Amino acid sequence: MNEMDNILKIAISAAVEGGTILLEHASDFKKASQKESLRDIVTEIDRYSEKKIIDILKTCDPNIPVLSEETKIVLPDNCKSYWIVDPLDGTVNYVNGIPFYAVSVAFMENDKLSVGVVYNPLANDLYYGSRKSGVYKNQAKIKVKDTNPEECLFAAAFSGKNYNPATRKEEFLAFQEINDSCRGCLRTGSAAINLAYVAEGRLGGCWGKANKIWDIAGGILLAELAGAVVKYEIVDKEKNLVDYVATGSLAYKFLGSKIKVL
Amino acid sequence: MKKKLLIYGAGAIGRGYIPWVFSPDNYDYYYVDVDKSLCTLLNKNKKFSTYKIVDGKYEAREISFEKCYLLNEEIKESLNVDAIITAVGPRNIPLIVDNLKKFSVPIICFENDSSSPDLIISLTGNQKVFFAIPDVIASNTAPEELRDKDPLSLVTENGVCYIDEKAKELGGDCLYIDKEELEKQWMAKLYIHNTPHCIAAYVGSLLGVNYLHESMQNAESEKIVGGAMLEMASVLLKKFNLEKEFVDWYAKKELQRFKNVLLFDPISRVAREPFRKLALNERLIGSAQLCISCGILPENIMLGIMAAFCYDNPSDPDANIKYLMASLKPGDFLKIAMRLRAGEALYELLLSKWDYNLNKLNNLK
Repeated sequence: MNEMDNILKIAISAAVEGGTILLEHASDFKKASQKESLRDIVTEIDRYSEKKIIDILKTCDPNIPVLSEETKIVLPDNCKSYWIVDPLDGTVNYVNGIPFYAVSVAFMENDKLSVGVVYNPLANDLYYGSRKSGVYKNQAKIKVKDTNPEECLFAAAFSGKNYNPATRKEEFLAFQEINDSCRGCLRTGSAAINLAYVAEGRLGGCWGKANKIWDIAGGILLAELAGAVVKYEIVDKEKNLVDYVATGSLAYKFLGSKIKVL
Repeated sequence: MKKKLLIYGAGAIGRGYIPWVFSPDNYDYYYVDVDKSLCTLLNKNKKFSTYKIVDGKYEAREISFEKCYLLNEEIKESLNVDAIITAVGPRNIPLIVDNLKKFSVPIICFENDSSSPDLIISLTGNQKVFFAIPDVIASNTAPEELRDKDPLSLVTENGVCYIDEKAKELGGDCLYIDKEELEKQWMAKLYIHNTPHCIAAYVGSLLGVNYLHESMQNAESEKIVGGAMLEMASVLLKKFNLEKEFVDWYAKKELQRFKNVLLFDPISRVAREPFRKLALNERLIGSAQLCISCGILPENIMLGIMAAFCYDNPSDPDANIKYLMASLKPGDFLKIAMRLRAGEALYELLLSKWDYNLNKLNNLK
C-alpha cells in the first residue's frame, strides 16, 4: 500500500473502532436519571471513543496533530497536515436513543482535505474515500444524484442557539423557505451523515451555519469526491466554525440563493 | 438474406462465442462497447479471429463485421436490426438501458444472472427479452502465438448454448428449451460452474498466476475447487432434486474445462468484481448459505470466500475490497463489507475459521 492508501486504511480503522465504542456504551444512558449525569456520561463516552481513535491515528505518524473538540489543540500557523476528528456527531440523537449518529475522521494534507470517513455504527454504514481511491459506501462506489431542486430532499444543520442569536430568525426563515419549495428540509442532528447522504444521493443537498469543522470535514470531502458542488467558509477561526453548502449542480443555485452563503 | 445482430459487449462472449452460435454465413454483426481503444482497433481492422477448441485443437473462424459503436454513439442501423444480444456483465446493464430503449426487437440476454431479463424488461418496457445460458468458458484473450497473428484473437470452448424457446425464430446453432429445462441448466451453471470457477480464480490470484488452468495445476487449489464443486453438487441433489446422473456429469465436465490448457482464461476476468460475487444471494456467500441450509458444511467454499476477500487487483472495479480487508477486524469486515449479521451461522463459521483459512491460503504460495 502507498502512503495515501495507508492513511485511508488507518482512518477507516479508527472510525470503526470509535463507532464500536459508541455502540457498546449506547445503553449507559438508561442508568442516568438527571440531565447533568446524562451530560457527564456522554462526555465520558466521547472521550473514551476519541482516545481510541487518536491512538489508532497516531500509529500512522505520532507527530501529526489531531484537531477535535476534546483535544482542544490550537494548530500552529504553519501546520498544514493534520487529522480532524469528531468521535460522536449527533450527540443529541445518541443520548435519546435515535439511531442517527456517526464518527467522522478526516485528514488534511497540505491544507487540502485528502481523506474522509463517516461511520454510522448502528446502520453499519461506512462512507470512505480519498482523492486517490474515489468514494464508497461499504462495498460500492457512490455518486451525487443531480436532481432538480423541487424534487430534492435537503437537510440543514444550524448553529447552536448560543452562538449568534441575531441570525437565528434568518436561519429558520431560510429553513422554512427551502422546506416549502422542495420535498422537504430535515434537521437530522448529524451534519456528518447529512453530507454522506448527499454523497450517496439520498439527499439532494445539505447546508449548515456555524458548524464545527470536525463535524463536517470528513463529509465535505466525501460529498466533493462524489461530485457535489461544495462550498465552505471558515466563519470563526478561533471557534473552528464553518458555513457550508453541498448539493448536486442542478440544486446549487436554488440552495445557494435561499441561504445566502458563500 | 442475413439477419442483423446488434451485440452489446465485444468481449469473451460477444466476439469469442456468439459467432459460433450465430454463424457469419447467416448473420451480420454490429457491436457496441464502452472500451474506446477496443472500438478503435476493431473498426480499423474490421475483422477479428475467434478460435474454438475442438478435440484439443483450435478451429479458427475469421469474423468480419460492419462496425463497433462506442456506447452512446448514434447507431445508424437502429431500425434495421433483427435482434439484440447483451453480453456486458449484469452490473453494466443500467449503462446500456437508454440505448436499448430505442429498439423494440427481441433482446437475448447472455448475462450470468437469471434476473437480468426481468431487469431489462422493467427498465425498457420491452417485453421480448429472453434469457440465454452459454454453457461455455470463453476467454477475452488468446495465447501469444494466436495474438501474434491477430491481436484481437479470442479463444472459446466448444460449448452449448441454451436459449428460452420463446426466442426460437432467431435460429442459430443453439438449443431452444422450455422454462423448466432452462431453470435446471441455470441451477447447474450457477452452482456447479460459477461457484468453483470463481474460487479457482481467487485462489489462482493468491498463487500469483495469470490463467485459470495455471491455478488448477496447483494440487491444493484443485482440491479446494473440486471440494467446492462437491459441496454444491450435494446442494443441488438435496435441495433442488436434480438427477444425480446429470449433476455428476456436469461436475466432471466442469473440472475438466477449468483445467483446459488451451483456453487461457484470465484470472482477472473470472475474478472480476469480487463484491458482486460475494453478494448475499450470489455464488460465494449465497452458495455457502445454501450449503448450511442443507446441513452441508461448506469448508471449501469458505476457503474460496476467504480467497475472494483477499483479492487484490488495483484495476478491478471492486479494488476497494483491499482497503476494507486491511482496515477492519474480521467481525467488522463481515458486518460492514459483507452485510452478514453477527450470530448467524455463516458469520460465526467464517469468523471461527478466519485465521486457519487465511494461513492455509497463504501457505499455498
